[in-house]
Amino acid sequence: MHRTLPRRTFLAASIGGGALPYLLPEGILAAPGKPGAGQRITVAHIGVGGMGSAHLANMKEFRSQGAVNIAAVCDVDEKRLRGAAASAGPGVMPYRDYRYILERKDVDAVIIATPDHWHAVQCVHACESGKHVYVEKPASVTIAEGKAMVAAARKHNRVVQVGSQARSAKPAHDACTYIRNGMLGTVRKVTCWHDPCPTGGAAPDCPPPSGLDWDLWLGPLRWRPYNPGYGPGTFRWIMESGGGQIRDRGAHVMSIIVWCLDADRQTPVAVHATGSPPAKGLWDCPPRMRVEYTFANPDWQLIWEQPGEARGPGGFGMVFHGDKDTLVVCRDGTRIDAEPKARHFKVPAGGVTVYRMDKYADYNMNHKEDFFQAIKSGKRPCMDIEIGHRVATLCNLGNLSYVLGRKFRWVGQKQEVVGDDQANRLLARPQRHPYHL
Amino acid sequence: MEELTLDTLIARIKDKDEKVRTAAWQGAGKVGPDALKPLAAVAKDGELEVSRAANRAMWQIVRYTGRPGAESEKKATVEALLDLLGDDQQPLQLRRDIVWMLSEIIDDAAIDPAGAARYLENPDLREDIRAGLQRVGGPNAVAALKAGLEAAADDFKPSIACGLRALGVDVPNVPCLKLKPTKQTSVKPVGRS
Repeated sequence: MHRTLPRRTFLAASIGGGALPYLLPEGILAAPGKPGAGQRITVAHIGVGGMGSAHLANMKEFRSQGAVNIAAVCDVDEKRLRGAAASAGPGVMPYRDYRYILERKDVDAVIIATPDHWHAVQCVHACESGKHVYVEKPASVTIAEGKAMVAAARKHNRVVQVGSQARSAKPAHDACTYIRNGMLGTVRKVTCWHDPCPTGGAAPDCPPPSGLDWDLWLGPLRWRPYNPGYGPGTFRWIMESGGGQIRDRGAHVMSIIVWCLDADRQTPVAVHATGSPPAKGLWDCPPRMRVEYTFANPDWQLIWEQPGEARGPGGFGMVFHGDKDTLVVCRDGTRIDAEPKARHFKVPAGGVTVYRMDKYADYNMNHKEDFFQAIKSGKRPCMDIEIGHRVATLCNLGNLSYVLGRKFRWVGQKQEVVGDDQANRLLARPQRHPYHL
Repeated sequence: MEELTLDTLIARIKDKDEKVRTAAWQGAGKVGPDALKPLAAVAKDGELEVSRAANRAMWQIVRYTGRPGAESEKKATVEALLDLLGDDQQPLQLRRDIVWMLSEIIDDAAIDPAGAARYLENPDLREDIRAGLQRVGGPNAVAALKAGLEAAADDFKPSIACGLRALGVDVPNVPCLKLKPTKQTSVKPVGRS
């Protein structure tokens, strides 16, 4: 049977030598160890600040291996955008408005590393525009947004990977394997400690710095004047945007916890948060906080504390309390690490093995490789948006209980609070036009 | 926590000591909706942190009186907030905050569609009003949005339409602008001047 060749393959086959290859863009032709253009994924970056620059560095590495094309970079801050364009090099188009990227038919996937309040809207828009998505954690800032992200990924059959890259890192994987092979016995409690949220944001509102598109930075959030305490780098400490430590590092920590306990599909039945607010300043996330999540069937409890009782160095960590033993997983220097007993554990014959992408030494590269392989295979990635949404839900419910000053019961199946209309209203927050779902 | 009276709440909200102010606004919930108007007055204070403490006290009242089983307190809070919203001498940012406060606790039955639709004509408040009605989302809120759509300036119709679509109402004659790019950059790609 004759098979119709894809156009690029036809072109490659018909080139006899001489000048013709110079008419073709670089990378069209396959070379040993280097995928041809038909196998490259074309990516674009939306948000090239702190984490965004790190993702760009990863994509440049993938590009050097022939795995991706980088089509575009986008940021609402012209200075960051200029820097990213220079870093990405020739052939990469800079944009201020991500919607130009979504219009492009050549872009296969977007890497979203904008502030948290943009994640859901850009993810949904990208899916609606036919793009696969790698989106930073936390997936969303409200329950309704997270639901919309899952729905968009499924409706449009797009791969959406959330950037909880510990699931692609050896230390967390070691802990997960150790726990899932029963080495702690039954785990009924996990306690977390974390540095408190900082306080600040004392300056008054003022005009935005030149080069920052404040309207586009705010995006879905309701309008407010610019404030240096509420913008790039400082949004983290504002409840409606960054949500504090519990939504920032908490998204990583809680992802590791539910992974280790094989509880990705389990939701809490009750949430109770207490905390102390900052005494002054615009930043309104509580420096000190305690959240108790109660799970049922199986029964266990997750306790998040700022600061909590540190059981290791590095500012944050978690302790799994089993009926046979405990395990500490915490930051050791610049990365998460598990105790040696977990690091050196070998899975016995017939034991539980846990998937982890293990192609690279750098777990950030691994997490993206998992994303790319999901795109090519059609399978779900290791931190699929549904899992990412459930993890973000834990973080968001903790903040909700704190903001309302009361405990509530949660029905995970329906994704609603029992008997508390105000809490249920706060599961959603309408976005500012036109930056809406 | 010590229970405050209205007078001690207001006095402590203005205190020079941030710890006193913080304890005061945290206790504002139990003082209740009678404190909203005096707090709104303090929120206009020239001292930023005092103003902020007063604003946080208002939010605390909304969150406390919105709790399950506090229907009469909630109703009183809604009435006080509606009064403040209707006072166009109140600062604009405060009135916007009040819209969002109402969006958390106002019953759909308490929304007057015609009155809410008039707010949709106010260029300074209309976007927040649209979002607030969208959040409440019941029949009166939808009626307000529909009435507002009829009367809206062309530049605002897409916003109201987005609110109605979010509530399941089809709006075929107004375009959805969410995916339409509008903002260019002056940054050039590498290799082009």
